Amino acid sequence: MSFALPLRRSTTATTARIQPSTTFICSQCRHATLLRRPKRPYQFTQLIAMSDGSTFTHRTSSPAPIYRSTRDTRNSLMWNPSSSKLASIEKDEAGRMAAFRARFGRGFDANNMKFVDPEAKKAAEQKEADAKAAEAEAEEEDDNLLDLISAFGQQEAPPPEKKNKW
Amino acid sequence: MAASESSRYLARSLPRALAPSARPHTLCWRRDASDQASSRSPSVNDLNELETITSLSSTTPPAEIVETFDPIARSRSRKTQLPRSRYQFRSPKYYRGPLHPHQPPPPTDPSSRLFVPGPFSLPRVEQTWQSTVASDILSLLYVHNPPGFKPPVKAPRLRSWDDSSPYHKNRPLRGPRGGDVLRLLRKPIDFNNVPKLERITIHSYVNMATESSSWIHTAGIAVQAISNVRVQTYKSKASVVKWGIAPGRDTVACKAELSGENMLHFFGKLVDIVMPRIKDWRGIKGSSGDSSGNITFGLDPEAVALFPEIEVNYDMYPPKMIPGCHITLHTTARTDKDARLLLSAMGIPFYGKINH
Repeated sequence: MSFALPLRRSTTATTARIQPSTTFICSQCRHATLLRRPKRPYQFTQLIAMSDGSTFTHRTSSPAPIYRSTRDTRNSLMWNPSSSKLASIEKDEAGRMAAFRARFGRGFDANNMKFVDPEAKKAAEQKEADAKAAEAEAEEEDDNLLDLISAFGQQEAPPPEKKNKW
Repeated sequence: MAASESSRYLARSLPRALAPSARPHTLCWRRDASDQASSRSPSVNDLNELETITSLSSTTPPAEIVETFDPIARSRSRKTQLPRSRYQFRSPKYYRGPLHPHQPPPPTDPSSRLFVPGPFSLPRVEQTWQSTVASDILSLLYVHNPPGFKPPVKAPRLRSWDDSSPYHKNRPLRGPRGGDVLRLLRKPIDFNNVPKLERITIHSYVNMATESSSWIHTAGIAVQAISNVRVQTYKSKASVVKWGIAPGRDTVACKAELSGENMLHFFGKLVDIVMPRIKDWRGIKGSSGDSSGNITFGLDPEAVALFPEIEVNYDMYPPKMIPGCHITLHTTARTDKDARLLLSAMGIPFYGKINH
């Protein structure tokens, strides 16, 4: 190998003398791939305060230290479909509807929602259930006897035919 | 190894050397390397040249070297610091092929030029996935098979030709019935392949980029601002006569590939802050997806302007030039159904007819 080296050197030297040096042009050549350093934009740590007061940090290119959001997943109806607070469609920013209702009552409302005190409602329901139970108990004995009498000697009635749509 | 081999070769060569060679010992002008060993007459010197001890045994250095060897004292006695090249490895700037003696270290090596440090934070989305989403998906997609259950054998996906014609010989197998597309095989979801976000691609096609390059510059900067990733620009592949776009001539699109930490932070702010603020937005269309677990949706320029990074210095961007973009969420799920389950668990709403 050693005898081949001077020969090669002389050839490269001659070619180098002929070619102009182009070191500053950064063009990709076949025998050497430039290893580019990856570009990483600078990031700040930002605190995001959601509308309900919860916060979390994230890395972002925005230089503001705190981002307060007014509208996010916590107060948007799409993410809270069961929330009655967000579902109320009526806008009463000036309070005129409230004033009208205070004066004339709610009898004019199209979808008349009955406001019932939850405790009173519960008590009423309990009362109703008690009454129903007592009635059922009273009726049970009579029913049993009547059933026995009426069903005696008869075949069981066939079940009613279901209407088939198809 | 070496010791045993040397003895073996010695035992083999001894009888050969002592036996009379077939070739007569005459004056021979030709001398080859191959016939040297066999034709050479044996001599006692040759055999003596063989070492009796193995090279594996370690030799102890002489006592004077051991006494003078004191690297700590030597470094302390040094007046000036060593040059940086003596203690710090510097990766070569160019990769010159696998046979070059100076090889760059792998990209995971901190001394590599391609090294990207991180991750530096545990994103909220990742924590949510670890704590709730993964276990939810695992329990939702659990399929109980009683012991001894054997799944029914399915037909092979690539059908063979029935040999009804002599031309069927040596043909490649037929594609599946009903279309040529071979869909991804869905493995049963187990604890070790719970669907996960893999990467996010933000792509923005700017049709006005042919008029002036400021459009593509603004789009690139906006995409970089929202994603923290340097964008790549792309030339058009298709010709659009209406916009005066020719293939291979006009740079019309930019794309950012997000993965790891960048991706999770981007996904978090997209879902928590940007999506709820989009006006009259119903969610992502349920039929979106490429049927292999990647969901794509689009954001119009108004939605892109809602990102906090763009909002904070909105005046920097020419208001007309803020781009819209297509966002592809690549998941490790094999089917769109699983991907949609994952994304909806992570807070993305879907609407309309949902394709399974």
